[in-house]
Amino acid sequence: MQMEDRQESPKSQSALVTEPADIKKIKSEDFPSQNDDEEPFYDFQAFVKLMKDPRADPIVRYTRSFLNNFVTKRELWTSEEQRKLVNDFKVFVFDKLTLYEPFKSLDAANLLNAKEGMEKLIMGKLYHKCFSPCLKSQLNVLDKGHKLDLDHDAMLADKREEFRFIDPQHLEINDKISSKLETFTQLSAKELGRMNGYKAPRDKMVCALNACRVIFGFLKHLKLERDGADAFIPLLIYAILKSNVESLISNVNYIERFRYPGFLRGESSYYLSSLQGAAGFVANMQVESLHIGNQQDFESKYHANQDALRKERESRQPSDPHKNASIPREPYGPSPSDYILKPLDGATNIVLSKFAELFSPAPASPQGHDAQEDVEGHDDITRLAQEMEEKEHARVLRELHAMFPDMDQELIRDISIAKKYRIGACVDVLLTLSS
Amino acid sequence: MGWVKSPIHKRAHQNKRYNTATMLQFKLVLLGDSSVGKSSIVHRFVKDSFDEFRESTIGAAFLSQTIKLEKHPDVTIKFEIWDTAGQERYKSLAPMYYRNANAALIVYDVTQPGSLVKAQSWVEELKNKVGDQDLVICLAGNKVDICDEDATAREVQREDAQLYAQEQGLLFYETSAKTGAGVSAIFQEIGERVYQKKGMEVPSSTQARKPLNVELQRPSTNDSTSCCS
Repeated sequence: MQMEDRQESPKSQSALVTEPADIKKIKSEDFPSQNDDEEPFYDFQAFVKLMKDPRADPIVRYTRSFLNNFVTKRELWTSEEQRKLVNDFKVFVFDKLTLYEPFKSLDAANLLNAKEGMEKLIMGKLYHKCFSPCLKSQLNVLDKGHKLDLDHDAMLADKREEFRFIDPQHLEINDKISSKLETFTQLSAKELGRMNGYKAPRDKMVCALNACRVIFGFLKHLKLERDGADAFIPLLIYAILKSNVESLISNVNYIERFRYPGFLRGESSYYLSSLQGAAGFVANMQVESLHIGNQQDFESKYHANQDALRKERESRQPSDPHKNASIPREPYGPSPSDYILKPLDGATNIVLSKFAELFSPAPASPQGHDAQEDVEGHDDITRLAQEMEEKEHARVLRELHAMFPDMDQELIRDISIAKKYRIGACVDVLLTLSS
Repeated sequence: MGWVKSPIHKRAHQNKRYNTATMLQFKLVLLGDSSVGKSSIVHRFVKDSFDEFRESTIGAAFLSQTIKLEKHPDVTIKFEIWDTAGQERYKSLAPMYYRNANAALIVYDVTQPGSLVKAQSWVEELKNKVGDQDLVICLAGNKVDICDEDATAREVQREDAQLYAQEQGLLFYETSAKTGAGVSAIFQEIGERVYQKKGMEVPSSTQARKPLNVELQRPSTNDSTSCCS
């Protein structure tokens, strides 16, 4: 994880401060979708609609030209070059948004949404070049940054196997923490795993924040919230250790590189750093990292696990070079190619493909749209977005029922509706009710 | 990344030419052993400041609070407070938290001499890794309320800790998160100190459109030997 080069270019610094930022503005930028009180405004389709406006042509052309240059000028940029190129473009194009209609006359919230949309658009297009697990096939020509992401992910997976037998006490997790620990850490880990389903840095970030929120919901329930990081960090580490989230470090580094610095502030920045720290802790875990009460007992468990691992590794089929011991085989885990082919944010993909012509090398004019086709395209998108949303709601209900089997199903549904199916917020309320 | 080093200029009122106010956003990292009550100090601070308290949306490990500087009423400071895990085994995570920090509050427990040793090792680490030109470091001895009730409970003498702080060029306070003693003074003083370091670089707030260099620069005067108590 890069500790150096964290200073932004002066250009982007200036762009940050030139934004007419008042206190309210900071808040809305901090937290595009996490704050329940202020309903966030985040609507990718609205952005797409604006991009189809003929007056957006200069913006569309800037974007197209950037994307073309990014993928054609060089086969593979280093991770640091990518960070800089993407950031510089965002600084540039965000400034242009204030010059051209239909963006120019947007209010602050809608302009922010347009910036979010732009980030989602370009990172959706460049994901296969920027997200390290997508570059696995080019391992021998990879630059250090991308390669380190993959190495660290493999280290993390190895350590997870090596220490999969450990107990909460080994991490100094508070004794008060009950048997529900596994349920909550598993749910938190599931939220982390969902990062792999999204391409936009913001969407990945939201998954990470949800995961943290589930842990804090649990801590609140136990009245340990006041212990702050002392209570939170061990649980986060435990969740990572006991999960099988693939490519966690690649995901975290991707967010750090490609989330616009102006959006990655405050709480988001704190929890991203925590995740980085916790993932790093597991990836570098040693026996000495742990709190060991009974040395003999620990050693026998450790060696038993080593034996079991050896057998498991031997029995694994060596035919597939990607399925080596360092990659946990999870039932729902996508293989590298799936990262590109099956994104969970299918709605985005449809949206992107529907106006892909805007960003293809061929000189396609956005003004040349067939109105009928536009309408149909829009219907498709809306229908797909609805389907995705329903699926997501069903998923949240399923998870909550599993976690709170004694709770009335109607009640869970009502709370989910009230909390807009945000799993972290739902867990919060349900815990309060159940205690 | 730009999470803390961007000064935010805010026009206080309609009158653009005269009524300008400055809002600065600072990152403060909280360090110290797990039993010293560092989180409690922050909770006390956040609770006692009446200025637009906002419950954090995720949890208590990250809190933010805004204060007005007593010495500069036109300056508003938003502290973003980053808590760290105090257990020794999680020490390796700390650099993720103190990078880019403007201030560090290092807390020990006046009834636990071992916690001062730990605090001193944080001071050393920060000086080595970050350098105190860029960072305001404050040492706080917490739980003085216990000593008020029972003088024999005190294990770290105020004078000893103060002398150490003086030698190291740290701000120093004794506090009680329980009674609130010393808590708001700490944040006032840290705010004032960071403002002195950073405020110089903040250009006139009416120049918001001009590209700014907001890198933290070394102060021209070295005031690191002075100590406040």
